[in-house]
Amino acid sequence: MPPIVKATNLTKSYSKGILALDNVSISVEPGEVLVVMGPSGSGKSTLIRTFNGLETFDSGQLNILGISLDCQNNEERKIRRIRKRVGMVFQQFNLFPHLSILENITLAPIKVQKKKRDDAEQNALILLSQMGIASHAKKYPSQLSGGEQQRVAIARALALKPELLLFDEPTSALDPERVNEVLDAMRRLATQGMSMVVVTHEINFAKEVGDRILFMDSGKVIETSTPDIFFLNAKHERSRKFLNQIKKK
Amino acid sequence: MKNRYKPIKYIKRVAFSNKLDSIISLTIISFGLVFLISLVKWVIFSANWNVVRLNLPLFFFGSFPNDQLWRPGLWISLFAILSFTTLWGPPWSWLRKNLPLLWVSFAPIGVFLLAGGCGLSPVESRNWGGLTLTILLTSCSAIISLPLGIALALGRQSALPVVKKLSSIYIDTMRSVPLIAVLFFGQLLIPLFLPVGLEINRVCRAIIAFTLFVSAYIAEDVRGGLQSIPRTQQEAGEVLGLHPFQITYLIILPQALRIALPSLTNQAVGLLQNTSLMAILGLVELLGIGRSILANPEFIGRYIEVYIWLAAIYWVICTVMALIARHLEQQMSLEKKDL
Repeated sequence: MPPIVKATNLTKSYSKGILALDNVSISVEPGEVLVVMGPSGSGKSTLIRTFNGLETFDSGQLNILGISLDCQNNEERKIRRIRKRVGMVFQQFNLFPHLSILENITLAPIKVQKKKRDDAEQNALILLSQMGIASHAKKYPSQLSGGEQQRVAIARALALKPELLLFDEPTSALDPERVNEVLDAMRRLATQGMSMVVVTHEINFAKEVGDRILFMDSGKVIETSTPDIFFLNAKHERSRKFLNQIKKK
Repeated sequence: MKNRYKPIKYIKRVAFSNKLDSIISLTIISFGLVFLISLVKWVIFSANWNVVRLNLPLFFFGSFPNDQLWRPGLWISLFAILSFTTLWGPPWSWLRKNLPLLWVSFAPIGVFLLAGGCGLSPVESRNWGGLTLTILLTSCSAIISLPLGIALALGRQSALPVVKKLSSIYIDTMRSVPLIAVLFFGQLLIPLFLPVGLEINRVCRAIIAFTLFVSAYIAEDVRGGLQSIPRTQQEAGEVLGLHPFQITYLIILPQALRIALPSLTNQAVGLLQNTSLMAILGLVELLGIGRSILANPEFIGRYIEVYIWLAAIYWVICTVMALIARHLEQQMSLEKKDL
């Protein structure tokens, strides 16, 4: 099978000549969980945001699910075709506060996939019970805890039956005691064979669930290793330094 | 909160806690009492309410043909019923769902009832007047300027430079011109621009002028709402594959309008009061009819009675509008929080 994501020599700079992405090449195989780690400002978020067209890039090639994106002027339609097949979960959940939980999840299936409301709601309830929050279906986002909101956000992304899920620091905005409920949900998804790209600082999650770790610093890919190698015997000095610093916390 | 149940103690605490407080409070209270007593005395003993009593139909309906008075009467009753149902009506869901629709159709119904046609005998707009005309001007201008204002606000944020520039120019120009100038423009200049033979009646021209003016202000209120929606909401919609148009009307606008609601209410109340400017331009809406009644030799010099009466009517309608707006705000926060 061809890779789900294939990026070749991606480069992007924000205005001042600082490279957000510096010659990044990476591929993600179907069913793989790729964990992206690195200090803040290293370009992790920028990288995964190029995968669904939230960020543009200056040069290089990018192919998502067989659809190739150009470095400039991508047709909006093409990007929307990718977004229908790639789900994303944000650090700040970004639920729609004026819609109930159920409406949050069924919005895209009804409006984008033109599903019938009943079918969409049924599917949403199944997803919610998988996330362990079926009882909150009628509530509004502001009535839920951060962990619950993030699980709703995952359910919302899953409702479109995506072939790839992108997670942009999904647990960074959560209270420490709420982190695990979200990570557990992600673990279950991984065991079900979902292809995921996860930006996170959660070492344990990366060790257990990650198939590969991608370590970035100042826009460059420093190393790509399996978790065993990365956490016990990282190839690069920079990676080891980063790990030491994280462990101190 | 305890003090709430002990009014005397409460008053003592807030108004008479020390000597200075007591002196100030006593002065204010005595002035207030003197004013109130003389007002009540005047209203009951000195005022001659004949000027209001004899002209009641004029105040409410203007010089609408006598045999057709039921039409504006029905329309104003509809306003009263709608307001009452919205505020204190039963919470049946089918009713609640259709109330906004009824409110939206309120202005067109009014135009139909007043102008006639389709079975009703036509009545010319110069016979429209009084409270009916005030409510007609307000409701028609409001119903047209709201979508126009929203469109302008969206236009101002548009990615297309031409649309953006044009909306900005329109909004800024309108906001730098006094309303009375726009109204004069509507009454005196619009006819000059129209081809010979085509004539728009004066009420219509007034509505156009109000709409042009108010929509610019509404646009700014809505823009305030739009800007307070974080960019991440847009992204969340994009990521789900929604069309930009869907993102705007399903995600951004509903939230922005909620935030803009208090200032939109403000605009509506302001609009109602500003319709009285049309009295200067010769429309006999509520204030205009008051002025023409005062010009009648029979009621000469009765201006205090007339203006107090008019103030009372404006007050009632503005209060009703404010109550409905507050009700709407509460409903929206209810939707968000409790369940």
